[in-house]
Amino acid sequence: MSSIKQSDFNMQSHPASYRDTSGFVFQQGGKVYRYIHPVYEIHYSRLMESGLYDELVKKGKLISHSEITERDKFSFADGRVLLPEQIPFISYPYEWSFDMWKDAALLTLQIAMASLQKDMILKDATPFNIQFFKGKPIFIDTLSFENYEQGKPWVAYRQFSECFLAPLLLMHYCHPDTGKLFTAYPNGIPMDVLVNLLPKRSRWNMNTFLHIHLQAKFAGKQKQRPGKENNFSKQKFEILLKGLESFVQKLSSKKIKTTWDDYYTDTILGDDYLASKTALVKSFISEIEFSNVIDLGANDGHFSLLFAGDKQVIATDSDPNCINNFYLKNKQDGSSNILPLVNDLTTPSPAIGWNNTERGSITERLKADLVLALALVHHLAIANNVPFPFIAEWLQPIGQYLIIEFVPKSDEKVKLLLQNRKDIFNDYNLEHFKTVFAANYQIVKEATVGHTNRVLFLMKRNS
Amino acid sequence: MYFFLLYIDPGSGSYLLQMIIAAVLGASFFFKNFWFSFKAFFASKKPKKEDENDTVD
Repeated sequence: MSSIKQSDFNMQSHPASYRDTSGFVFQQGGKVYRYIHPVYEIHYSRLMESGLYDELVKKGKLISHSEITERDKFSFADGRVLLPEQIPFISYPYEWSFDMWKDAALLTLQIAMASLQKDMILKDATPFNIQFFKGKPIFIDTLSFENYEQGKPWVAYRQFSECFLAPLLLMHYCHPDTGKLFTAYPNGIPMDVLVNLLPKRSRWNMNTFLHIHLQAKFAGKQKQRPGKENNFSKQKFEILLKGLESFVQKLSSKKIKTTWDDYYTDTILGDDYLASKTALVKSFISEIEFSNVIDLGANDGHFSLLFAGDKQVIATDSDPNCINNFYLKNKQDGSSNILPLVNDLTTPSPAIGWNNTERGSITERLKADLVLALALVHHLAIANNVPFPFIAEWLQPIGQYLIIEFVPKSDEKVKLLLQNRKDIFNDYNLEHFKTVFAANYQIVKEATVGHTNRVLFLMKRNS
Repeated sequence: MYFFLLYIDPGSGSYLLQMIIAAVLGASFFFKNFWFSFKAFFASKKPKKEDENDTVD
Protein backbone atom coordinates (compact mmCIF):
# COMPACT_ATOMS: atom_id res chain seq x y z
CA MET A 1 0.00 0.00 0.00
CA SER A 2 1.50 3.30 -1.02
CA SER A 3 1.47 6.24 1.33
CA ILE A 4 1.40 9.97 0.80
CA LYS A 5 4.82 11.50 0.43
CA GLN A 6 5.69 14.21 2.90
CA SER A 7 6.49 16.44 -0.06
CA ASP A 8 2.87 16.22 -1.24
CA PHE A 9 1.82 18.02 1.92
CA ASN A 10 4.68 20.45 2.08
CA MET A 11 4.24 21.83 -1.36
CA GLN A 12 0.55 21.87 -1.94
CA SER A 13 -1.86 21.28 0.88
CA HIS A 14 -3.93 23.88 2.67
CA PRO A 15 -2.35 24.58 6.11
CA ALA A 16 -5.38 23.07 7.90
CA SER A 17 -5.46 19.93 5.74
CA TYR A 18 -2.89 17.66 7.36
CA ARG A 19 -4.71 15.55 9.94
CA ASP A 20 -6.39 12.99 7.72
CA THR A 21 -3.99 11.01 5.56
CA SER A 22 -6.77 9.97 3.15
CA GLY A 23 -6.06 13.08 1.12
CA PHE A 24 -5.84 16.83 1.36
CA VAL A 25 -7.17 20.13 0.11
CA PHE A 26 -5.03 22.38 -2.04
CA GLN A 27 -5.40 25.57 -4.01
CA GLN A 28 -4.31 26.10 -7.57
CA GLY A 29 -5.15 28.97 -9.91
CA GLY A 30 -7.50 30.50 -7.33
CA LYS A 31 -9.55 27.30 -7.03
CA VAL A 32 -9.83 24.83 -4.18
CA TYR A 33 -9.27 21.16 -5.07
CA ARG A 34 -9.30 17.96 -3.06
CA TYR A 35 -6.73 15.22 -3.61
CA ILE A 36 -7.80 11.66 -2.72
CA HIS A 37 -5.09 9.18 -1.91
CA PRO A 38 -5.48 5.59 -3.27
CA VAL A 39 -5.80 4.27 0.33
CA TYR A 40 -9.17 6.02 0.55
CA GLU A 41 -10.40 4.54 -2.73
CA ILE A 42 -12.56 1.75 -1.18
CA HIS A 43 -14.42 4.31 0.91
CA TYR A 44 -14.73 6.86 -1.87
CA SER A 45 -16.09 4.28 -4.28
CA ARG A 46 -18.77 3.21 -1.81
CA LEU A 47 -19.74 6.84 -1.19
CA MET A 48 -20.19 7.35 -4.92
CA GLU A 49 -21.65 3.96 -5.88
CA SER A 50 -24.02 3.35 -2.95
CA GLY A 51 -26.12 6.38 -3.88
CA LEU A 52 -25.14 8.16 -0.64
CA TYR A 53 -23.31 10.97 -2.47
CA ASP A 54 -26.25 11.54 -4.85
CA GLU A 55 -28.78 11.48 -2.02
CA LEU A 56 -26.86 13.97 0.15
CA VAL A 57 -26.00 16.30 -2.74
CA LYS A 58 -29.60 16.28 -3.96
CA LYS A 59 -30.77 17.32 -0.50
CA GLY A 60 -28.16 20.10 -0.38
CA LYS A 61 -26.41 18.47 2.59
CA LEU A 62 -23.06 17.63 0.94
CA ILE A 63 -20.95 19.76 -1.38
CA SER A 64 -21.01 18.49 -4.97
CA HIS A 65 -17.82 17.90 -6.92
CA SER A 66 -16.55 16.94 -10.32
CA GLU A 67 -13.55 14.75 -10.90
CA ILE A 68 -10.61 16.16 -12.82
CA THR A 69 -9.66 13.73 -15.53
CA GLU A 70 -6.88 15.75 -17.20
CA ARG A 71 -4.12 14.36 -15.02
CA ASP A 72 -1.34 16.38 -16.62
CA LYS A 73 -2.65 19.46 -14.79
CA PHE A 74 -1.39 18.08 -11.50
CA SER A 75 1.77 16.41 -10.30
CA PHE A 76 0.12 13.44 -8.56
CA ALA A 77 1.13 10.04 -9.91
CA ASP A 78 -1.95 8.27 -8.59
CA GLY A 79 -5.14 8.95 -6.66
CA ARG A 80 -7.94 11.26 -7.70
CA VAL A 81 -8.38 15.01 -7.85
CA LEU A 82 -11.79 16.52 -7.17
CA LEU A 83 -13.00 20.01 -7.92
CA PRO A 84 -15.73 20.77 -5.34
CA GLU A 85 -18.33 23.47 -5.85
CA GLN A 86 -16.53 26.61 -4.73
CA ILE A 87 -17.68 28.38 -1.58
CA PRO A 88 -17.20 32.16 -1.81
CA PHE A 89 -16.66 32.89 1.89
CA ILE A 90 -15.19 30.57 4.50
CA SER A 91 -16.57 31.20 7.99
CA TYR A 92 -15.43 29.48 11.16
CA PRO A 93 -17.61 28.03 13.94
CA TYR A 94 -16.55 30.63 16.50
CA GLU A 95 -18.21 33.18 14.20
CA TRP A 96 -21.57 31.38 14.26
CA SER A 97 -24.53 32.12 16.49
CA PHE A 98 -26.41 29.50 18.50
CA ASP A 99 -28.83 28.33 15.81
CA MET A 100 -26.06 28.18 13.22
CA TRP A 101 -24.17 25.81 15.55
CA LYS A 102 -27.35 23.87 16.17
CA ASP A 103 -28.13 23.48 12.45
CA ALA A 104 -24.51 22.44 11.81
CA ALA A 105 -24.73 19.81 14.58
CA LEU A 106 -28.04 18.49 13.27
CA LEU A 107 -26.66 18.32 9.73
CA THR A 108 -23.69 16.29 10.99
CA LEU A 109 -26.04 13.83 12.73
CA GLN A 110 -28.40 13.60 9.74
CA ILE A 111 -25.44 12.81 7.48
CA ALA A 112 -24.18 10.22 9.97
CA MET A 113 -27.63 8.57 9.98
CA ALA A 114 -27.97 8.65 6.18
CA SER A 115 -24.46 7.16 5.94
CA LEU A 116 -25.30 4.31 8.29
CA GLN A 117 -28.24 3.38 6.06
CA LYS A 118 -25.67 2.82 3.29
CA ASP A 119 -23.22 1.01 5.55
CA MET A 120 -20.94 3.98 5.97
CA ILE A 121 -20.04 6.16 8.96
CA LEU A 122 -18.72 9.66 9.53
CA LYS A 123 -15.19 9.10 10.76
CA ASP A 124 -14.93 12.61 12.15
CA ALA A 125 -17.38 15.20 13.45
CA THR A 126 -15.90 18.68 13.58
CA PRO A 127 -17.74 21.91 12.74
CA PHE A 128 -14.82 22.84 10.46
CA ASN A 129 -16.32 20.27 8.05
CA ILE A 130 -19.32 22.55 7.64
CA GLN A 131 -19.74 25.83 5.85
CA PHE A 132 -22.74 28.12 5.45
CA PHE A 133 -23.56 28.33 1.79
CA LYS A 134 -26.67 29.86 0.20
CA GLY A 135 -28.19 30.41 3.63
CA LYS A 136 -27.80 26.83 4.83
CA PRO A 137 -25.12 24.64 6.40
CA ILE A 138 -23.42 22.24 4.00
CA PHE A 139 -20.94 19.44 4.66
CA ILE A 140 -17.73 20.06 2.76
CA ASP A 141 -15.44 17.17 3.70
CA THR A 142 -15.91 14.47 1.06
CA LEU A 143 -13.26 12.35 2.81
CA SER A 144 -15.16 12.04 6.10
CA PHE A 145 -17.06 8.96 4.94
CA GLU A 146 -15.79 5.53 5.78
CA ASN A 147 -17.11 1.99 5.41
CA TYR A 148 -19.06 0.79 8.43
CA GLU A 149 -17.47 -2.03 10.39
CA GLN A 150 -20.02 -4.30 12.04
CA GLY A 151 -20.06 -4.02 15.82
CA LYS A 152 -17.91 -0.91 16.10
CA PRO A 153 -19.14 2.16 18.03
CA TRP A 154 -18.87 5.69 16.60
CA VAL A 155 -15.23 6.66 16.41
CA ALA A 156 -16.18 10.36 16.27
CA TYR A 157 -18.52 10.32 19.27
CA ARG A 158 -16.11 12.05 21.62
CA GLN A 159 -15.19 14.57 18.92
CA PHE A 160 -18.88 15.31 18.31
CA SER A 161 -19.40 15.81 22.06
CA GLU A 162 -16.47 18.18 22.46
CA CYS A 163 -16.93 20.02 19.17
CA PHE A 164 -20.72 20.37 18.99
CA LEU A 165 -22.39 19.45 22.28
CA ALA A 166 -19.89 21.41 24.39
CA PRO A 167 -20.36 24.82 22.68
CA LEU A 168 -24.11 24.28 22.36
CA LEU A 169 -24.46 23.45 26.05
CA LEU A 170 -22.37 26.45 27.08
CA MET A 171 -24.65 28.70 25.00
CA HIS A 172 -27.67 26.89 26.43
CA TYR A 173 -26.69 26.97 30.11
CA CYS A 174 -24.27 29.89 30.45
CA HIS A 175 -24.37 32.68 27.82
CA PRO A 176 -25.13 32.97 24.09
CA ASP A 177 -21.70 34.55 23.52
CA THR A 178 -19.71 31.52 24.73
CA GLY A 179 -19.51 30.05 21.22
CA LYS A 180 -16.37 32.13 20.76
CA LEU A 181 -14.59 30.00 23.40
CA PHE A 182 -14.08 27.66 20.45
CA THR A 183 -11.32 30.03 19.30
CA ALA A 184 -9.37 28.87 22.33
CA TYR A 185 -10.33 25.20 21.85
CA PRO A 186 -10.74 24.67 18.09
CA ASN A 187 -10.26 20.90 18.48
CA GLY A 188 -13.16 20.71 20.90
CA ILE A 189 -13.77 22.02 24.41
CA PRO A 190 -12.25 19.37 26.69
CA MET A 191 -14.77 17.51 28.88
CA ASP A 192 -13.05 18.45 32.14
CA VAL A 193 -13.12 22.15 31.20
CA LEU A 194 -16.75 21.88 30.13
CA VAL A 195 -18.07 20.17 33.28
CA ASN A 196 -16.43 22.84 35.41
CA LEU A 197 -18.08 25.61 33.40
CA LEU A 198 -21.57 24.11 33.28
CA PRO A 199 -23.89 24.79 36.23
CA LYS A 200 -24.41 21.89 38.67
CA ARG A 201 -28.09 21.64 37.74
CA SER A 202 -27.08 20.50 34.24
CA ARG A 203 -26.51 17.03 35.77
CA TRP A 204 -30.23 16.67 36.25
CA ASN A 205 -30.83 16.65 32.51
CA MET A 206 -30.55 13.00 31.46
CA ASN A 207 -28.83 13.76 28.14
CA THR A 208 -26.35 16.23 29.60
CA PHE A 209 -25.59 13.76 32.34
CA LEU A 210 -25.03 10.85 29.95
CA HIS A 211 -23.17 12.61 27.16
CA ILE A 212 -21.17 15.10 29.20
CA HIS A 213 -20.88 14.43 32.93
CA LEU A 214 -20.59 10.67 32.55
CA GLN A 215 -18.20 11.05 29.63
CA ALA A 216 -16.02 13.39 31.69
CA LYS A 217 -15.92 10.73 34.42
CA PHE A 218 -14.93 8.06 31.91
CA ALA A 219 -12.28 10.16 30.19
CA GLY A 220 -8.78 8.99 30.97
CA LYS A 221 -9.93 6.34 33.44
CA GLN A 222 -11.23 3.43 31.44
CA LYS A 223 -8.86 1.53 29.25
CA GLN A 224 -10.36 0.10 26.09
CA ARG A 225 -10.34 -3.66 26.14
CA PRO A 226 -9.53 -4.95 22.67
CA GLY A 227 -12.41 -6.77 21.00
CA LYS A 228 -15.00 -5.41 23.43
CA GLU A 229 -16.17 -2.74 21.02
CA ASN A 230 -17.39 -5.33 18.53
CA ASN A 231 -20.72 -5.78 20.35
CA PHE A 232 -22.12 -2.42 19.34
CA SER A 233 -24.95 -3.33 16.97
CA LYS A 234 -26.09 -1.12 14.12
CA GLN A 235 -29.36 -0.66 15.96
CA LYS A 236 -27.48 0.71 18.98
CA PHE A 237 -25.53 3.01 16.66
CA GLU A 238 -28.83 4.33 15.29
CA ILE A 239 -30.22 4.79 18.81
CA LEU A 240 -27.12 6.78 19.77
CA LEU A 241 -27.44 9.06 16.72
CA LYS A 242 -31.20 9.50 17.15
CA GLY A 243 -30.69 10.22 20.85
CA LEU A 244 -28.10 12.88 20.03
CA GLU A 245 -30.41 14.37 17.41
CA SER A 246 -33.35 14.70 19.78
CA PHE A 247 -31.03 16.11 22.47
CA VAL A 248 -29.64 18.80 20.13
CA GLN A 249 -33.11 19.50 18.73
CA LYS A 250 -34.38 20.45 22.21
CA LEU A 251 -31.52 22.85 23.02
CA SER A 252 -32.10 26.59 22.90
CA SER A 253 -29.88 29.57 23.50
CA LYS A 254 -29.94 31.01 27.01
CA LYS A 255 -32.20 34.07 27.07
CA ILE A 256 -30.04 36.98 28.10
CA LYS A 257 -30.83 40.50 26.95
CA THR A 258 -27.75 41.88 25.25
CA THR A 259 -26.68 45.47 24.54
CA TRP A 260 -28.02 45.65 21.02
CA ASP A 261 -31.31 43.81 21.36
CA ASP A 262 -34.09 46.13 20.20
CA TYR A 263 -31.64 48.83 19.12
CA TYR A 264 -33.94 50.19 16.46
CA THR A 265 -37.23 49.66 18.32
CA ASP A 266 -36.04 51.29 21.57
CA THR A 267 -33.95 53.96 19.96
CA ILE A 268 -34.52 57.61 20.74
CA LEU A 269 -33.69 58.27 17.11
CA GLY A 270 -37.09 57.12 15.89
CA ASP A 271 -38.68 56.13 12.61
CA ASP A 272 -37.79 59.32 10.76
CA TYR A 273 -34.09 58.67 11.25
CA LEU A 274 -34.32 55.09 10.06
CA ALA A 275 -36.48 55.99 7.04
CA SER A 276 -34.15 58.83 5.99
CA LYS A 277 -31.05 56.69 6.42
CA THR A 278 -32.62 53.83 4.44
CA ALA A 279 -33.53 56.23 1.60
CA LEU A 280 -29.99 57.64 1.57
CA VAL A 281 -28.33 54.21 1.53
CA LYS A 282 -30.66 53.15 -1.31
CA SER A 283 -29.76 56.24 -3.34
CA PHE A 284 -26.02 55.71 -2.73
CA ILE A 285 -26.07 52.07 -3.79
CA SER A 286 -28.04 52.89 -6.93
CA GLU A 287 -25.06 54.89 -8.15
CA ILE A 288 -22.34 52.27 -7.88
CA GLU A 289 -21.59 48.85 -9.33
CA PHE A 290 -20.86 46.02 -6.95
CA SER A 291 -21.63 42.36 -6.42
CA ASN A 292 -20.82 41.74 -2.77
CA VAL A 293 -21.24 43.63 0.46
CA ILE A 294 -19.90 43.54 4.00
CA ASP A 295 -22.21 45.09 6.59
CA LEU A 296 -20.12 45.86 9.69
CA GLY A 297 -22.18 46.26 12.87
CA ALA A 298 -25.26 44.95 11.08
CA ASN A 299 -27.48 44.77 14.20
CA ASP A 300 -30.84 43.29 13.15
CA GLY A 301 -29.79 43.25 9.49
CA HIS A 302 -32.11 46.09 8.40
CA PHE A 303 -29.56 47.44 5.92
CA SER A 304 -28.28 44.05 4.76
CA LEU A 305 -31.84 43.33 3.66
CA LEU A 306 -31.77 46.26 1.23
CA PHE A 307 -29.60 44.19 -1.08
CA ALA A 308 -31.35 41.99 -3.60
CA GLY A 309 -30.69 38.28 -3.95
CA ASP A 310 -28.01 38.68 -6.60
CA LYS A 311 -25.74 40.55 -4.14
CA GLN A 312 -23.80 38.46 -1.66
CA VAL A 313 -23.89 40.00 1.81
CA ILE A 314 -21.85 39.21 4.91
CA ALA A 315 -23.43 40.82 7.95
CA THR A 316 -21.32 40.93 11.09
CA ASP A 317 -22.13 42.11 14.57
CA SER A 318 -20.58 41.51 17.97
CA ASP A 319 -24.00 40.79 19.47
CA PRO A 320 -24.79 37.04 19.31
CA ASN A 321 -28.53 37.63 19.85
CA CYS A 322 -28.79 40.05 16.92
CA ILE A 323 -26.93 37.65 14.63
CA ASN A 324 -28.99 34.68 15.78
CA ASN A 325 -32.28 36.48 15.22
CA PHE A 326 -31.08 37.59 11.80
CA TYR A 327 -29.99 34.05 10.89
CA LEU A 328 -33.40 32.68 11.93
CA LYS A 329 -35.23 35.43 10.02
CA ASN A 330 -33.25 34.68 6.84
CA LYS A 331 -33.84 30.97 7.32
CA GLN A 332 -37.57 31.53 7.67
CA ASP A 333 -37.72 33.87 4.66
CA GLY A 334 -35.54 31.55 2.58
CA SER A 335 -32.97 34.32 1.94
CA SER A 336 -29.87 32.67 0.58
CA ASN A 337 -27.62 35.66 -0.13
CA ILE A 338 -26.90 36.83 3.42
CA LEU A 339 -24.39 35.25 5.79
CA PRO A 340 -24.70 36.66 9.33
CA LEU A 341 -21.62 36.24 11.53
CA VAL A 342 -20.73 37.08 15.10
CA ASN A 343 -17.60 39.20 15.06
CA ASP A 344 -16.38 41.78 17.54
CA LEU A 345 -14.50 44.36 15.46
CA THR A 346 -12.37 45.39 18.42
CA THR A 347 -11.11 41.82 18.87
CA PRO A 348 -11.76 40.16 15.49
CA SER A 349 -11.33 36.39 14.95
CA PRO A 350 -7.57 35.76 14.98
CA ALA A 351 -5.47 33.40 12.86
CA ILE A 352 -5.35 30.14 14.83
CA GLY A 353 -4.18 26.54 14.74
CA TRP A 354 -0.79 25.07 13.95
CA ASN A 355 1.75 27.80 13.25
CA ASN A 356 -1.16 30.30 13.21
CA THR A 357 -1.89 29.26 9.64
CA GLU A 358 -4.73 26.73 9.85
CA ARG A 359 -7.62 29.17 10.11
CA GLY A 360 -7.12 32.65 8.74
CA SER A 361 -8.13 35.76 10.65
CA ILE A 362 -11.43 37.33 9.71
CA THR A 363 -9.54 40.46 8.65
CA GLU A 364 -7.78 38.41 5.94
CA ARG A 365 -11.08 36.89 4.82
CA LEU A 366 -13.33 39.96 4.78
CA LYS A 367 -13.16 41.37 1.27
CA ALA A 368 -16.01 42.90 -0.74
CA ASP A 369 -16.83 45.58 -3.29
CA LEU A 370 -18.89 47.60 -0.82
CA VAL A 371 -18.49 48.08 2.93
CA LEU A 372 -21.26 49.43 5.16
CA ALA A 373 -20.17 51.03 8.43
CA LEU A 374 -23.40 52.54 9.73
CA ALA A 375 -23.65 53.95 13.27
CA LEU A 376 -20.31 52.31 13.96
CA VAL A 377 -17.58 54.95 14.08
CA HIS A 378 -18.58 56.38 17.48
CA HIS A 379 -18.43 52.92 19.04
CA LEU A 380 -14.95 52.34 17.70
CA ALA A 381 -13.61 55.86 18.26
CA ILE A 382 -15.25 56.71 21.59
CA ALA A 383 -16.28 53.46 23.29
CA ASN A 384 -13.02 51.76 22.27
CA ASN A 385 -10.65 54.74 21.85
CA VAL A 386 -9.67 53.74 18.29
CA PRO A 387 -8.18 56.79 16.50
CA PHE A 388 -9.76 57.85 13.15
CA PRO A 389 -6.61 57.03 11.10
CA PHE A 390 -6.69 53.44 12.45
CA ILE A 391 -10.31 53.10 11.32
CA ALA A 392 -9.65 54.50 7.82
CA GLU A 393 -6.55 52.31 7.32
CA TRP A 394 -8.43 49.22 8.53
CA LEU A 395 -11.45 49.82 6.27
CA GLN A 396 -9.52 50.67 3.11
CA PRO A 397 -8.33 47.13 2.19
CA ILE A 398 -11.77 45.60 2.84
CA GLY A 399 -13.59 47.15 -0.10
CA GLN A 400 -13.55 49.65 -2.92
CA TYR A 401 -16.66 51.52 -1.80
CA LEU A 402 -17.55 52.58 1.70
CA ILE A 403 -20.83 53.89 3.08
CA ILE A 404 -20.02 55.31 6.49
CA GLU A 405 -21.99 57.30 9.04
CA PHE A 406 -20.46 59.98 11.22
CA VAL A 407 -22.20 60.48 14.56
CA PRO A 408 -21.22 63.81 16.19
CA LYS A 409 -20.68 64.50 19.89
CA SER A 410 -23.97 66.38 20.06
CA ASP A 411 -25.80 63.12 19.30
CA GLU A 412 -27.71 61.48 22.17
CA LYS A 413 -25.96 58.14 21.60
CA VAL A 414 -22.52 59.71 21.84
CA LYS A 415 -23.56 61.62 24.96
CA LEU A 416 -24.54 58.27 26.48
CA LEU A 417 -21.13 56.84 25.67
CA LEU A 418 -19.45 59.81 27.33
CA GLN A 419 -21.70 60.20 30.37
CA ASN A 420 -19.50 58.19 32.74
CA ARG A 421 -16.09 59.08 31.44
CA LYS A 422 -13.84 62.01 30.71
CA ASP A 423 -14.10 63.38 27.19
CA ILE A 424 -10.56 62.88 25.94
CA PHE A 425 -11.63 63.01 22.30
CA ASN A 426 -10.72 66.52 21.25
CA ASP A 427 -10.30 65.46 17.62
CA TYR A 428 -13.69 63.79 17.41
CA ASN A 429 -15.46 66.11 14.97
CA LEU A 430 -16.71 66.08 11.39
CA GLU A 431 -13.86 68.17 9.99
CA HIS A 432 -11.17 65.93 11.42
CA PHE A 433 -13.07 62.80 10.34
CA LYS A 434 -13.21 64.06 6.74
CA THR A 435 -9.56 65.10 6.72
CA VAL A 436 -8.41 61.71 7.98
CA PHE A 437 -10.58 59.69 5.59
CA ALA A 438 -9.48 61.86 2.65
CA ALA A 439 -6.05 60.23 2.96
CA ASN A 440 -7.54 56.84 2.01
CA TYR A 441 -10.77 57.73 0.23
CA GLN A 442 -12.38 60.14 -2.12
CA ILE A 443 -15.71 61.43 -0.79
CA VAL A 444 -18.32 60.83 -3.51
CA LYS A 445 -21.51 61.81 -1.65
CA GLU A 446 -22.29 63.42 1.68
CA ALA A 447 -25.73 63.96 3.25
CA THR A 448 -27.28 64.71 6.64
CA VAL A 449 -29.57 61.97 7.94
CA GLY A 450 -33.14 63.25 8.50
CA HIS A 451 -33.46 65.77 11.34
CA THR A 452 -30.35 64.51 13.13
CA ASN A 453 -26.80 65.83 13.03
CA ARG A 454 -25.51 62.52 11.73
CA VAL A 455 -23.82 62.55 8.32
CA LEU A 456 -23.75 59.73 5.80
CA PHE A 457 -20.93 59.40 3.28
CA LEU A 458 -20.37 57.40 0.14
CA MET A 459 -16.61 57.07 -0.34
CA LYS A 460 -14.45 55.47 -2.98
CA ARG A 461 -11.05 54.02 -2.13
CA ASN A 462 -8.01 55.87 -3.52
CA SER A 463 -6.36 53.56 -6.02
CA MET B 1 -8.23 -2.41 9.41
CA TYR B 2 -6.68 0.50 7.52
CA PHE B 3 -3.85 2.54 8.89
CA PHE B 4 -5.76 5.82 8.67
CA LEU B 5 -8.88 4.46 10.33
CA LEU B 6 -8.30 6.17 13.65
CA TYR B 7 -6.74 9.43 12.64
CA ILE B 8 -8.68 11.00 15.49
CA ASP B 9 -8.54 9.69 19.04
CA PRO B 10 -11.91 8.15 19.88
CA GLY B 11 -11.20 8.88 23.54
CA SER B 12 -10.53 6.33 26.24
CA GLY B 13 -13.75 4.91 27.59
CA SER B 14 -15.76 6.42 24.75
CA TYR B 15 -16.74 3.03 23.30
CA LEU B 16 -17.86 1.65 26.66
CA LEU B 17 -19.82 4.85 27.30
CA GLN B 18 -21.58 4.52 23.95
CA MET B 19 -22.69 1.01 24.94
CA ILE B 20 -24.15 2.38 28.17
CA ILE B 21 -25.82 5.36 26.48
CA ALA B 22 -27.32 3.22 23.72
CA ALA B 23 -28.70 0.86 26.37
CA VAL B 24 -30.18 3.70 28.46
CA LEU B 25 -31.61 5.53 25.44
CA GLY B 26 -32.85 2.25 23.94
CA ALA B 27 -34.77 1.51 27.15
CA SER B 28 -36.05 5.09 27.29
CA PHE B 29 -37.24 4.93 23.64
CA PHE B 30 -38.91 1.60 24.39
CA PHE B 31 -40.84 2.99 27.35
CA LYS B 32 -41.70 6.17 25.46
CA ASN B 33 -43.11 4.13 22.57
CA PHE B 34 -44.94 1.93 25.02
CA TRP B 35 -46.39 5.01 26.74
CA PHE B 36 -47.42 6.63 23.43
CA SER B 37 -49.13 3.48 22.22
CA PHE B 38 -50.76 3.13 25.63
CA LYS B 39 -52.08 6.69 25.37
CA ALA B 40 -52.98 6.26 21.71
CA PHE B 41 -54.97 3.14 22.58
CA PHE B 42 -57.23 5.06 24.94
CA ALA B 43 -57.19 8.28 22.90
CA SER B 44 -58.39 6.42 19.83
CA LYS B 45 -61.37 5.01 21.75
CA LYS B 46 -62.96 8.39 22.41
CA PRO B 47 -63.28 9.82 18.88
CA LYS B 48 -64.68 6.48 17.76
CA LYS B 49 -67.46 6.82 20.29
CA GLU B 50 -68.19 10.34 19.07
CA ASP B 51 -68.27 9.07 15.49
CA GLU B 52 -70.73 6.41 16.50
CA ASN B 53 -72.88 9.00 18.23
CA ASP B 54 -72.73 11.18 15.13
CA THR B 55 -74.01 8.41 12.94
CA VAL B 56 -76.75 7.54 15.39
CA ASP B 57 -77.91 11.14 15.64
